This record gives sequence, structure tokens and C-alpha cells, in this order.
Amino acid sequence: MADLGNIALWIALLIGLWGSAVAFVGGLKRRPELARSAERAVYVQWGLLFLASVGLLRALLTHDFTIEYVAAYTSRNLPLYYTWSAFYAGQKGSLLLWAIIVASFGSVALLVNRGKYRDLMPYVAGVVSVVVTFFVAAMVFSSNPFERLGFTPADGNGLNPQLQNPGMTIHPPMLYLGYTSITIPYAFAMGALISGRLDTGWIHAIRRWTLLSWLFLACGIVLGMWWAYVELGWGGYWAWDPVENASLLPWLTMTAFLHSVMIQEKRGMLKKWNLGLIIGSFLLSIFGTFITRSGVISSVHSFAQSSIGYFFLIFLVAAAGVSFALLAYRWPRLEAEAKLESMVSREAMFLFNNLIFIVIAFSVLWGTLFPILSEWIKGTKVTVGPPFFNQVNVPLGLLLLGLTGIGPLIAWRQATTANLKRQFLWPTTLMVLTAAFLLALRMSDGWAIGAFALGVFVTGTVVQEFVRGTGARHRLHGESYPLALVRLVGRNRRRYGGYVVHLGMVMLFAGFAGLAFKSDTEATLKPGQAVEVKSPYGHTYRLVHQGVSQYEQLNRFVSAASLDVYRDGTYLGVMKSEKRQHLNSLGRPTFEPSTEVAIRSDIREDLYLVYAGSVQGTEEAVYRVTINPLVWWVWYGGMVLVVGGIITMWPGGGGPTAASRRRAEPAGYVAQVTT
Amino acid sequence: MFLAVLAPWRHAAAQDTTAPAARLPQPGVVQERSPTSRDNDLLVKAIEGKIHCTCGCNLDVFTCRTTDFTCATSPAMHRLVLARLDSGMTAAQVIAAFERQYGQSVLMAPPKRGFNWAAYVMPFVGLGFGLVLLGFIMRRWIRARPVEPLEPPAPAGAEGSNEELERLKRELEKFEA
Repeated sequence: MADLGNIALWIALLIGLWGSAVAFVGGLKRRPELARSAERAVYVQWGLLFLASVGLLRALLTHDFTIEYVAAYTSRNLPLYYTWSAFYAGQKGSLLLWAIIVASFGSVALLVNRGKYRDLMPYVAGVVSVVVTFFVAAMVFSSNPFERLGFTPADGNGLNPQLQNPGMTIHPPMLYLGYTSITIPYAFAMGALISGRLDTGWIHAIRRWTLLSWLFLACGIVLGMWWAYVELGWGGYWAWDPVENASLLPWLTMTAFLHSVMIQEKRGMLKKWNLGLIIGSFLLSIFGTFITRSGVISSVHSFAQSSIGYFFLIFLVAAAGVSFALLAYRWPRLEAEAKLESMVSREAMFLFNNLIFIVIAFSVLWGTLFPILSEWIKGTKVTVGPPFFNQVNVPLGLLLLGLTGIGPLIAWRQATTANLKRQFLWPTTLMVLTAAFLLALRMSDGWAIGAFALGVFVTGTVVQEFVRGTGARHRLHGESYPLALVRLVGRNRRRYGGYVVHLGMVMLFAGFAGLAFKSDTEATLKPGQAVEVKSPYGHTYRLVHQGVSQYEQLNRFVSAASLDVYRDGTYLGVMKSEKRQHLNSLGRPTFEPSTEVAIRSDIREDLYLVYAGSVQGTEEAVYRVTINPLVWWVWYGGMVLVVGGIITMWPGGGGPTAASRRRAEPAGYVAQVTT
Repeated sequence: MFLAVLAPWRHAAAQDTTAPAARLPQPGVVQERSPTSRDNDLLVKAIEGKIHCTCGCNLDVFTCRTTDFTCATSPAMHRLVLARLDSGMTAAQVIAAFERQYGQSVLMAPPKRGFNWAAYVMPFVGLGFGLVLLGFIMRRWIRARPVEPLEPPAPAGAEGSNEELERLKRELEKFEA
């Protein structure tokens, strides 16, 4: 199977080169047979990559240790579900996953749009082919997952224990799905630029793809936060690590696009900007992959350094050069069809919102790259860690949170004073009351007060929209309130799904604000001894060390320390944190011991317990006890955000607006779609 | 259920706190050190939160020493913090001493001086530049807008006839669809 996989990669490379060439020639020379050949090339590439993936999976599941990748990331005693996830645990496998996902998305996009957007599709096929071929070339020439060892080891190295977590079976694929699916909107944007079909037709084609990509990235980021929280044991979920930042960057630009595209659909404005955002999002997704794989920036997530970083750098520069050159070439034809009518309008608010998103993305990118810049310019190595990112991004984030509430309430074209008063009276009153209440409670952190008060403001605006919309349906149609609410959302999923996303963001910000009140305590306890920890809410936790038990479990030796937990004298239960020494099938230790934290979570706070180890090998245990307020809100906020995204992209009830359809009609797209 | 299963074990594990702790079989997870009350000192934590552990973990010294208990670097840096505080140094002096010893990269954020100011200022310069540019573009767009006659506003409190309400209902349905 390994040889078959290898051959499949080589054929995929050749087919990809053919497909890339004929796609652009077919489009430019208007030769449909070449365009069709290019589309078929994408399907064939998908088939070959599927074959290669099956080959790698089979090698992993059958422990074919003659293959270097299998020996490096699995062992005979690795549980089956983690053996499966070893597919993308290393650089080589993850490149194959990237390639097969892009090919899959590309094939689906071509299938779904067959018979539509005929001027664009050859270029869409061409761009997909180029991206897939790049990844296949990176594998064939630099990181081949089917590379053989000169000998057959008795057992493999096994999977890094920190990757042996359910979150890791989902988080990386979600991020890959997010990164890779940006290729489709990018391909359509390139198609529009090359073909000169610059109306809103391409926007309709990519709407769901953009949402899908945004949704996958959001899921991947939140799952990554959850994994870091439960698995790494440092008590937090976001460390502003370069690789975390790399995943956030395209999400920020995509979010900006999802807002600004509404202006293009409704008013025919911001065409250049929207194309720029799609190009930027794609380039940032490649940039993220470059950072992970090049080793240019120190990161806990980095794969082993290799020459593959250069592949990505060259691809990044080439893609940026071609994309922006095309944008510059079409610049004169991308004039807005309407003009702004007032600074106090929905359009203007979306422009401010876009500016804040881009400035946040810039500050994250700037902070991520500053160590390199400092070394180049001044020869001084610096570290840019959480204190920097928090200092810069917290005020920007709060500004964005405020706009989240303001934007949707302001009318399109021009808002009147009466409109502003009617929309903002109650939310603003609630915000001021919240801030006053928190100050009266002697809350000392100004940023946290700002976050909570603005959160209440945004929640007020969203609730007001739902209440007014439901009330209007109830009055107009005589529907019951629950039915009116369901129909309100169902008939305009895009708008109300967006509001649900905003609620999710409020919950996330509330969770982030809770970090201001985090506390850590270290304690060494003999069995029977206790430590007391104060919560920011005023109650006291008492933790009584029960002892340490040791046992073998699956592929590891476990040392588990347990504590009885009391809150203000009330018994809550037992918490158990573990140290795990993973072993290979020969019983030999592999990797450093890893930590399994114990978490007791509720809506107010998390009690987060880490068993650090035992003093001199006795049952006297060292613990770190962390009180993490409002973490619950981060996970549920993430879920609400995803639910909102799903509502927004659910088929029906949220298609292109009438204005947007009218804008696409002169270009003939609508006629082609319906024939 | 979980507690019931654990109960006998819990009682067995509860011991006299004055008795020496029993030895654990190997391979145990051995800590050579025992934290002291000073490890929880807020000043120590604050200082260590600003110092980057040099073991390659990308964490600050406090987080590293209370997370990766196999790391030998962060406990050593922790001891250095305590020793420097004991010698009479202030928090700022302790941090400055670390910077002299390891260079700027030992700080979790670039110190605000010289070229490093660029790191802090640029995002806000970007914001200011963006706001000015946006303001300029928006004013130009607004000035270029052809003047459209505005319809006279409806009188305050106007309710509309049943016919008008019906028409509005039909329009809303069309809009929502």
C-alpha cells in the first residue's frame, strides 16, 4: 500500500500540473473542452489523494513500521482512535490531509456549480489544481509520508501524550477544514478577477463557502482552546502562541469579510475591499501553515524544522504577487455602484467594524513577527508574550464589542436622531447601570468592568431586536409569541443567526474578562492535610489530600492524586489529577510524564487542580490549585457562536438579498442559474 | 456511583498527618523540592509572570514551574528571584537583573524603550491612520452623492389605515421571503 500511495502522489502531481495549465489556457482561449479537462483533473487528483490517504491509514493501522512516518508517530499499544489521529499528528501526514481536503472541497465546488458561472469555473478549477499540486509537490519533494526506513523497528515511537486527548482528534481537522476551505472563495475571487466578471455573482457563489470556512475555523480555535485548557495544565486556554495567532488571523479577516460583503450585496460598494479581504484570508491561512512548519518563530506547536518552510514562503510570495497584481489590474473596474449617504448609517458602522477587525489582525500579526523584525533591524532578541498582546488587544477588542452592539441597530443609508434614540435608549441605560453596579461592588479591573458593561449593552441590543421582531410578527400575523420567534428566525436566518453569533461573542468576552480574577496557589500536602483557597466570589474551598494511587492503564503508568473538596464546609466531591508516564509495547517509558488536570466547573468559576508530583517519591503531593472565574462562558459562548453560524448558513431563508440578485442579473448569472 | 466506588479507597488512604508519608513504587513522579509559603507570595508571582522561562516552553517562570514539573530551568530561575529579593532588590531591580543576565528575550514583553516602542505604538498608529483614511474616504463619498429629494416624514403618531397595514404586511412577507 505504501508503494501504491507513493505512486498515487506522483500521478496526482502530474495530473495537477496538467489540470493547472489547461484550466487557465481553456479559460483564456475560451476552449470548453480544456476547461472540462481541468475540472476532471481535479476529480482525478481527489481520487488519487484518496488512494494515498487510504494507503497511509492502512499503514498506520497495521503498524507498518518500515514507513518512517508510522514509526515516528504510532506504537503497537497506541489506542485505535489515536492511531487514526496520528494521520495528521506529524508534518507529512498533515500535508496529505491538507491536500485531500482542498481536493475534496474543490471537487464539491465544481460539482455543485456545474452549469453555473461558466466564465469563472475554469479559473476556479485552475486555482484549486494549483493549490492541491503545491501540497502534493511539497510531499513528493520534501516531506513524503511514504518514505521508508532502512530497517524495521520492533515498535514505533508512539504519539506524543499531549496529543492523546479527544480534543486532538477533532481540533486539528477542524482547523485544517477552516484553512483549506478558504481556497474555494479565493478561487472564485481569482476567477472573477481573471475573467473580468466583477459583479456580485461570485459573491453569491462563495457565500456559504465563506461561512463554512469561518465556522470550521471558529470550531477549530475553540476546540484548540479547550484542548490546551484540559491537557496542557498551565491553567489557561490562550497563550498568544504564534501558531494560535496564525489560526486567529484568517478568522478575523473572514469575519470582517462576512460583514463588509453585506454592503456589497445591498449597495454594490466595497468591491475592492472584499476582494482584498478574501485574498488576505487565503494568504494568512498559508502564512499560518508556513509559521507552523518553517520554525522561523519559536512555538510550542512547531513541527520539526525542515526545508518545507521555503516551499511555503515561495508559494506565499507568488500567490500574493499574482493576486494583488490582478486586483491592481482590475482596480478601475471595481468602482462602487452607490455612495455613502451618512456617517451615521449601517454602512459606515460596518466600515468602522472592518477597520477594527483589520487593526486587531494587524496587531496580532505585528506582535507575532516583531521578534524577527527586532532581530533583523536591531540585532536584539525579544519575546512577545501575553502581556504585550493583552495590553494592545484588550482595548481594541472592547471597541469591537461596542460596535457589535451599535452596528445592527443603525439604519441602512442614514439614521435619524429619533431612530438612534429609539434603538439605543434601553441598551445604553442597561450598560450604564451594569457599570455602576460593578463599581459599587468594588470591582477594581477597569477592562473587566468595560467588558461586562459592553456585554450587557450588546445583549440588550440583540434581545431588543428579537423582542421587536417577534412582537411585530405577533401583531401582523396573529401568531403566538413562540411561533412568531421561530418564524422570525426561520424567515431571516442570516440576520438573526448573526445576532446569535453576537450573543456568543458576548459570552466569550465575559469569559475572557473573568481571567482578570484568576488566582493560583501552590501547596504541598501529606495525606490528610488540607489547603484553603479563596474564590473571588468570597467563598472558601478546602481541599483535603487523600493520597496517591498508582496503576497501569492502557499504554501508560498512572500516578493519581485525589483530594476531597469542600466549599464553605459543604462537601462537593473528589477531584483526581494524574501524572501519566507513557510506555511503549516493550514497557519502556516514552516521552516525558504528562499531566491530567482535574476540573470542577460551574457557571461562575472553575476549580482547576494540577498534581505536580510527589516529594521524594512519597505520598506527599505537590499541587497547584487555580481558581478560574467564568471559563464556562468561553466554552458555551463558543457553542452559541457555532449555533449562530449554522443558523446563518442553513439552506433557505437566508439567500442573496433581492438587491444583490438584481445586481447580479445584468451579468447574466441569474439567467444561467435558473436555466 | 463514582464516589461510592472511591469511598473505601478514600478511607484507606486517609492517614495520620504526623506520620511519615509512605514511599511510592517506581516509576513514580518524583519532586525533589517542596513548595514553601514564599512560592505563593504575590510579589514573587508578579515578578515571575514577567520573566520568560528559558527552557523553550514559551511560558513565564511562574506558569512553567507550576505546570511542567519536570523542568529544571524554571525552579532554578524561581530560586534566583527569591535570592535577589532576599538581597534587598526591588521588583524592578530583580527584573532588570534578569535582563542584564539573559538579554531582553527573558522578558515576557519587550521593554518599552527604543525600537520596542514600535511594537506597542504601531497597532494604534494603524488604527489612527485607518480612522483618518476612512474619514477622508467617507467624506468624499458623501460629498459626491447626488442630492435626492426627501419625502416628507409621516406625522408623529400616525397609525396608518387598515389598508396600509395590509400592504405593509404583504411587503414584509415578500421581504422576508
